[in-house]
Amino acid sequence: MYKNGIYRETDKMSDLICDNYPMLLVMSRFGIALGFGEKNIGEVCRQNEVDACTFLTVVNFLAEEVNAPVEHINRCLSIENLIRYLHNAHDYFLEFRLPHIRRKLVEAISDCPKDVAFVIRQFFDEYAEEVNKHMAYEERAVFPYVRNLLAGKKDPKYNITIFRKRHDQIEMKITELKNILIKYYPGTGSNMLNSVLFDIFATEEDLASHTRVEDYLFVPAILALEKQL
Amino acid sequence: MSTNLKIAIAEPSVLIRSGLEVVLKRLTGLRVQLVEIASAETLFDSLRIHKPDLLIVNPLLLGYFTLQHLKTESGSPDMKCIALLHTTVDNLVLRSYDEQINIYDSPDEIKHKLERLEAEEIPEETGEDEQQSLSTREKEIVVCVVKGMTNREIADQLFLSTHTVITHRRNIARKLQIHSASGLTVYAIVNKLVELGEIKNA
Repeated sequence: MYKNGIYRETDKMSDLICDNYPMLLVMSRFGIALGFGEKNIGEVCRQNEVDACTFLTVVNFLAEEVNAPVEHINRCLSIENLIRYLHNAHDYFLEFRLPHIRRKLVEAISDCPKDVAFVIRQFFDEYAEEVNKHMAYEERAVFPYVRNLLAGKKDPKYNITIFRKRHDQIEMKITELKNILIKYYPGTGSNMLNSVLFDIFATEEDLASHTRVEDYLFVPAILALEKQL
Repeated sequence: MSTNLKIAIAEPSVLIRSGLEVVLKRLTGLRVQLVEIASAETLFDSLRIHKPDLLIVNPLLLGYFTLQHLKTESGSPDMKCIALLHTTVDNLVLRSYDEQINIYDSPDEIKHKLERLEAEEIPEETGEDEQQSLSTREKEIVVCVVKGMTNREIADQLFLSTHTVITHRRNIARKLQIHSASGLTVYAIVNKLVELGEIKNA
């Protein structure tokens, strides 16, 4: 279990990361690098030109394992910063995480029968393509809509509720891959395959919490913004 | 077997809410997706958005609303409702609930109650001898799906109604926890139900 208290600007950045190591990902998605020494969260954020309020909102949302839409969005939240965070998370999944898992997976299954390796690869590629489409839609339709909204321009044909309704869980299918490997993998187990499975477990959780940030933090923030205009 | 359940917990006390959450998450054989509801104001909206399979609710939170009203208003007529009891509550009120959980129940008791509710929901699954492995008919259907056939085509080839094919497919998905055609392909190849050559031509 990770600690789930509320973090403040005056808490040390290193304490946050050590209490709750998935926050490493949050940090790097906000564009903060390691090596911050004894500095506190507020100082590290300012040094990296990150809005501390937005950073802490995301951190506390995840640390508290919030399972419902946030009702009162803090006024200091910077939607621009939040979009950058979500965008960097997309990049991370598409450009790093999934290709990385694919490389390891291909290596791990290299000694199982050719046809099995083929269909597992095919399954993975289809999955990666799905994630790609899912995230591309957000980049193409949702983010530009919100940026216009921030500039005071409302699109009469689109609103965030459209996104909320069509937004599905993308971790379901990777759960399926994990189940298939665990239950039916025909070759001999290996350290490499276990390592891939660990990666898949972690990615599954990471995707689920990414979806939670979108549904329960981002969407309510945009709903509030829509009401203001 | 592992069942996926979307459960909403409507309870104002954060201690009891989180306590129940932890207990539910630790139950084996059950994958839960939880939605927390802390107040009566957010109850309807939250149910409308999440459409949970199951609502565990403190009856006092509902006030004068009836469960029937709640189900209709939130658009989830099939949602099961469990009363979460801290104190004694009028039996008349409790009658409309499907089950009750007392805050002194053990995790095992809670698990049994959830399982009992689940069993009512999927009656065909309660057969004692039914294993999680597929029947011959189900395997035939997997092969057809993997070859890219439509439900109509499968029905024609196996002399079944499309309705039966759909029921079989639902059972297959439930038993294997595999929902996509590409997932079934991996299953079929690994278990040697088809050869790669047969699907590639499809």
